[in-house]
Amino acid sequence: MKQGLWDRETVALLLLAALLPMLLAWLWDGGLTAAGRLGFTLVVSGFWHLAFMLIRAQPPSFAGVLTALAVAMLAPEDLSLLQLILGISFGSVIAELVFGGWGRNVLNPATVTLAFLGFGFPAAPWPDLSLPIGWAAIPALALGVLFGVMALRLVLGAVLALALCLWAGVPLAPLLPVAGIVLALLVSDPVASASTKLGGWLNGALYGLLLALFAAHWQGAAPVQMAVSAALLASLAAPLLDEIALALWILRRRMRHG
Amino acid sequence: MLPARFSAGLILPQPRLPDPADPVATELTVEAAVQPAPGETLRVELLVTEDAEVAQGQPLMRLKTAPGIALVAPMAARVARIDLQPGRRLSQLVLFHEAGGARHAFDTRGAEGDPARLRALLQDSGLWRMIRSRPFGRMPAPDEAPAAILVMGRDTRPGAPDPALAVKGREEDLARGLSALASLTAGPLLYAGPGAPAPARPIATGPLHPQGLAGPVLHRHFPARTGAPVWDLTAEDAADIGALLATGFLPPTRLIAITGEALRSPALVRCQPGADLRGLTRARVLPGPHDLLSGSALDGGPALWLGSRDRQVTALPRAQRPAGRHWFRAALDRAARHAPIIPTAALDQALGGDLPAAALVRALAAGDAEGLIRLGGLSLLEEDLALADYATGSDQRLARQLRALLDRIAAEEGLA
Repeated sequence: MKQGLWDRETVALLLLAALLPMLLAWLWDGGLTAAGRLGFTLVVSGFWHLAFMLIRAQPPSFAGVLTALAVAMLAPEDLSLLQLILGISFGSVIAELVFGGWGRNVLNPATVTLAFLGFGFPAAPWPDLSLPIGWAAIPALALGVLFGVMALRLVLGAVLALALCLWAGVPLAPLLPVAGIVLALLVSDPVASASTKLGGWLNGALYGLLLALFAAHWQGAAPVQMAVSAALLASLAAPLLDEIALALWILRRRMRHG
Repeated sequence: MLPARFSAGLILPQPRLPDPADPVATELTVEAAVQPAPGETLRVELLVTEDAEVAQGQPLMRLKTAPGIALVAPMAARVARIDLQPGRRLSQLVLFHEAGGARHAFDTRGAEGDPARLRALLQDSGLWRMIRSRPFGRMPAPDEAPAAILVMGRDTRPGAPDPALAVKGREEDLARGLSALASLTAGPLLYAGPGAPAPARPIATGPLHPQGLAGPVLHRHFPARTGAPVWDLTAEDAADIGALLATGFLPPTRLIAITGEALRSPALVRCQPGADLRGLTRARVLPGPHDLLSGSALDGGPALWLGSRDRQVTALPRAQRPAGRHWFRAALDRAARHAPIIPTAALDQALGGDLPAAALVRALAAGDAEGLIRLGGLSLLEEDLALADYATGSDQRLARQLRALLDRIAAEEGLA
């Protein structure tokens, strides 16, 4: 008879609130250019949400802001407006809106946008994110976990994997700030990441291991490019990891209860 | 375990309850009713007419499909009104309290040693209706053999009375009731909660709602299956069985909690089953419009009478319709497809922390019966998902989806 508040928009707004430290650090660092870039991605992302609301009667979501924010922060620089519009449109529409909006998508639309831009326009240089933004990723992740909108197991899985690889001598150190930023912005999206317990651990660990693999063997790639690629692959594997975790859970139950 | 005690995101407000050490008053309401549970169909053969005088515990009607099962008078009373729908389906039977009325005595000879006679006694005394059979959550069929019986000595619903308090001072009755129940099943007799008496196997439950509901407990310890139903009942009902066996009389009252924001002060009282909710709350509510629910604020529904298994009455201030809702917001709320549920820590906790929440929500939303069975959903009922419905505030109620899916599975199994 009474209603709680954990509906989709609350979760989106809490995610946004959790990412605020990073957003502020990034805006402080980038100044007017960054603000303009964010405004532009917001307009494009908002346009598609509006279009789907008017044409498909699909309620828009604040998740569009999350997409815009991630794209503004991580998209390659020196892209023309048309290229940026093309990328965001592809990501928002194909990865999210055609599935029925945020919550029904398989991949994070920002991840798809960034992968599209990265593969489509390889000549554009990836942004160089300053160290304070990397530090700001720590409070962002902590807030997300505290609010319960990001999974602690996923974050811990990633941190453990990265720490292990670092200890094993993989040259990861210069990648760490970007790894944290991408972890907060893309990997720990509650919809596109694994939702089971074991799946969450595996998903985080996979992201960390892929990042280590790229750091060791991908010559000439920018840190953001490696992190986004790792996020894309980890996100693609998430349903499989969930399926594995579920199968194990059911097997354990069957052994216990016959 | 840490996750069993703490989880991010969901804090459930606990209504204040009176000090359990205070004496609990017995309040029989003037009116009471016998009625089917929500969603239940009872085709009945009446044994009394309107205006007849009945003793407390006297059978009022028998089921047409199972004449052994009787519905009994919750108090000594005069039959005020009998409402039947076409097909002799019971709508309600209203009783007026008669002071100084008699108590109906049941023949309990030999019932304690003989499962068949015990079964007949339970069915005849109306205590059979207190038992709930999972899967599907119905009253068990007259000859159903349970794979296990779970007695709930714990209730984590917000504002629920402590079952330990309900059976305090009735340890002998409880032990006798449990021994009797143990004879009804070839499987284990489980007791969830503190201080399990002798024949029952104790089960530890977590302190966070819904870990103290029968559904999550069974899901974890003894999943119900279509071929192997599991019964559950509260410790107070088990003690009632013991009291009936010992004395031949049906205990006249049960312990309930009256809570909610529309009350001046919460209360613990003993009242009869099927009590009149207005009668229970009249002297306690604050001025102004309010809604009375039978059950907790999470899983209860608006009602006139106390539900047959409910131990809680909740009085909530009537929700004000927002006067000028913007047309745009109203249009969004009426979208053809509702916003989906996002898996969060709050949802995990709302489902007990043990279930793969996202997979269950997906199976329910997609109407995937096989997926639900694989996840152990046959052990669950509407009340077990009530907290998730509350937490997500979603328009697509999980409890409703679960009921629809369970009904479909029952129909496919030929059990409908």
